[in-house]
Amino acid sequence: MSRPGASRISRRTVLRGIAASAAGAGIAAFASGCTGFATTGNSGLVFLSTQFRPVEEAERFRELLRTVYPAEVSYVTSEEGPFIGQVRTQHDANSVQFALLGGVHGDLAPLVDGYLAEADGLLGELGDLGIPPEYLDLAKLGTRRSWYVPWAQASYLLAADEDALGQLPPGVREDELSYDDLLDWAIAARRANGNRPRFGFPAGPAGLLHRFLQGYLYPSFTGGQITTFRSPEAVRAWEYLRELWANCVPSSTTYEMMQEALVAGEATIAWDHMARLVDAPRTQPGRWRLLPAPRGPRGLGYMAVVTGLGLPAQSNDRAGATDLIKALSTASAQVELLRANAFLPVVRAELPDDLEPALRMSAEAVDAQRAADDAILALPPVGLAEREGEVTKVFQDCFRSIVLGGANIRSTLDSQARVLQRLLDELRVPCWAPDPVTGARCEVA
Amino acid sequence: MTAETASTSRVLPPVDRAPLRRRKWRRAGVQAACVAITLFMALPLVFIALAAFSGRAALNEFPKSLVPSEFAVDTMTSFLAGTGTVPALGNSLLVGCYTVVLSLLFGAPAGYALARHTFRGKDAYQLFVLLVRALPIVVLSVPLATMFLNFGIYDKVVSVTLVHTALAMPTTVLITASIFVSVPTDVEEAARVFGCTKLDAVRRTVLPLALPGLAAASIFTFVLSWNEVLGAAVLTLGHRTLPAQVLASLAESPQAYRFAGGFALVVPALVFIAVMRRYLLNMWGSTLR
Repeated sequence: MSRPGASRISRRTVLRGIAASAAGAGIAAFASGCTGFATTGNSGLVFLSTQFRPVEEAERFRELLRTVYPAEVSYVTSEEGPFIGQVRTQHDANSVQFALLGGVHGDLAPLVDGYLAEADGLLGELGDLGIPPEYLDLAKLGTRRSWYVPWAQASYLLAADEDALGQLPPGVREDELSYDDLLDWAIAARRANGNRPRFGFPAGPAGLLHRFLQGYLYPSFTGGQITTFRSPEAVRAWEYLRELWANCVPSSTTYEMMQEALVAGEATIAWDHMARLVDAPRTQPGRWRLLPAPRGPRGLGYMAVVTGLGLPAQSNDRAGATDLIKALSTASAQVELLRANAFLPVVRAELPDDLEPALRMSAEAVDAQRAADDAILALPPVGLAEREGEVTKVFQDCFRSIVLGGANIRSTLDSQARVLQRLLDELRVPCWAPDPVTGARCEVA
Repeated sequence: MTAETASTSRVLPPVDRAPLRRRKWRRAGVQAACVAITLFMALPLVFIALAAFSGRAALNEFPKSLVPSEFAVDTMTSFLAGTGTVPALGNSLLVGCYTVVLSLLFGAPAGYALARHTFRGKDAYQLFVLLVRALPIVVLSVPLATMFLNFGIYDKVVSVTLVHTALAMPTTVLITASIFVSVPTDVEEAARVFGCTKLDAVRRTVLPLALPGLAAASIFTFVLSWNEVLGAAVLTLGHRTLPAQVLASLAESPQAYRFAGGFALVVPALVFIAVMRRYLLNMWGSTLR
């Protein structure tokens, strides 16, 4: 049928050619899509951080970076576990792709063995900024040199509405509460509300109740966090918490951020992280007060969340990162950070008059906590990285069995202390404040 | 039936309507169960969608109403306007599609071999193919990151694709194997008789019949890749997938963002499943009868 001369280019060959070129185009598209789309926003120096991960906070911080620093900065966020993993792997593979690291003290501490550059020179250049000496001490990470520049701080506070303040037991000042006063107050608030409790705790799955146990209840009652885990004072602390819980809003076990329950009117007194409370006075100004935490038999235990800026040991833009740290360490930049994301300055900073009352209130309450004569500084666990969740779980399990389940306090603490000790033995980390930081590994007494 | 054949002179016995009634009730019961299951699946999606598009004040109302008092798109728009959210969505789609293609390319032949041939160590192979899922991704991803850095493919969509393909391989192999088993060998042999080569026989007879199974496997793969956070977070820095870029932080975001993010996470997966649905229904209609 076919003509002999035309047999070279039959329809089949043409179709094959088309198919082959389509496949080629497909492969080319695949290859060009191998890298993917850039998600950093720009191509400036990479600032890797565990802070301000929620979209809204990250956007506000990027905006702040644009105003305080002339060059472009790619602000990349990472969860704590992957953060440490990424820093270590990139360093070990000699191909570091970031210039600046930001994180809370506990994120930076595990990197001290060779992954961070010394920050003493930089701190010297910055001069006297008025950073509290206890934070400068923290930045030494148990060595004699400094490894990061303290950047911002946050803490946990009490919030109460004006009605609840009227129910305070007579003769008690709201900014000088003791834990017994707090219990009396919670009882009074319950009685004034038709026997329905009004005090709330963030005891939900993603709530921060374990920070209350680690940074407030334990230090205030026992003076320690890990070493005194099963001491007789700890038994007393748990007995106290049981009584307090009986006067707590029952749906506390579902709360993750107290501001939502406060604004919704489900609770009128609450304890939580200041960033998780501050929306209440923001949306309903004049109704809410933020107060320093109560004090216990051993003093006013409080937990400080200190964030720092560290330079990686290998860096692709050391000069740029140093300039960026200097820009972020000015009083004005830190006040802007307070406005944007409710993290308080660590440098000496005059709070401007036009600052939101909610932020001023939280700054004053945090200051009152830190400056108290009997203040006991506590830190979130240091040096545990992704294993921190297991320490958290020990405290949460204690809370669940003792307070929610009504288990025997002594035997629960003894069995959980064994779990805690096994974990600390595996990790071989020194204790952290308020426990003595000396010694190679932390031990439950 | 008995009434019609019986002689007309005699008095008809009373008609027993009980079986008919039973059947009606059963049908109604099936319908009710279908409605209940659909509601069970659809209601959370509806609520997430409603919450994603309602104003912040409406979310804070207490007690909450079923339909929000005001609709607003500001949370959704500011979520999507966040740096890197849209590119990350694109990366997630790329990784998902590449992973589906790659895992079918390698997994389906393995499934075919498991279904059609007996070889030494087959049982052990079937067991060990699952081993990759036994190791936590955190353990795998750190050495992988080092390796990718050394090969120069770190922080690229292709590196995440490779990891997701490895993770998806067990389900792909096992699902496709069970599908290939259900395609009768006779069809393939008949094709050979009519002059097909072995490859042609597979392409013309087995693959069309196995399409539903391949679709099911691809849905598993896509959803797995779509949801994976840890590996993607360690292996990328500036070219992230959506979970690594924003969704990992949703738990600590305000409620409004959680709903917006949840909605953004659900929709593309739903679209993918809707596209694959006709192949899946095909499976319920034919092979699984």
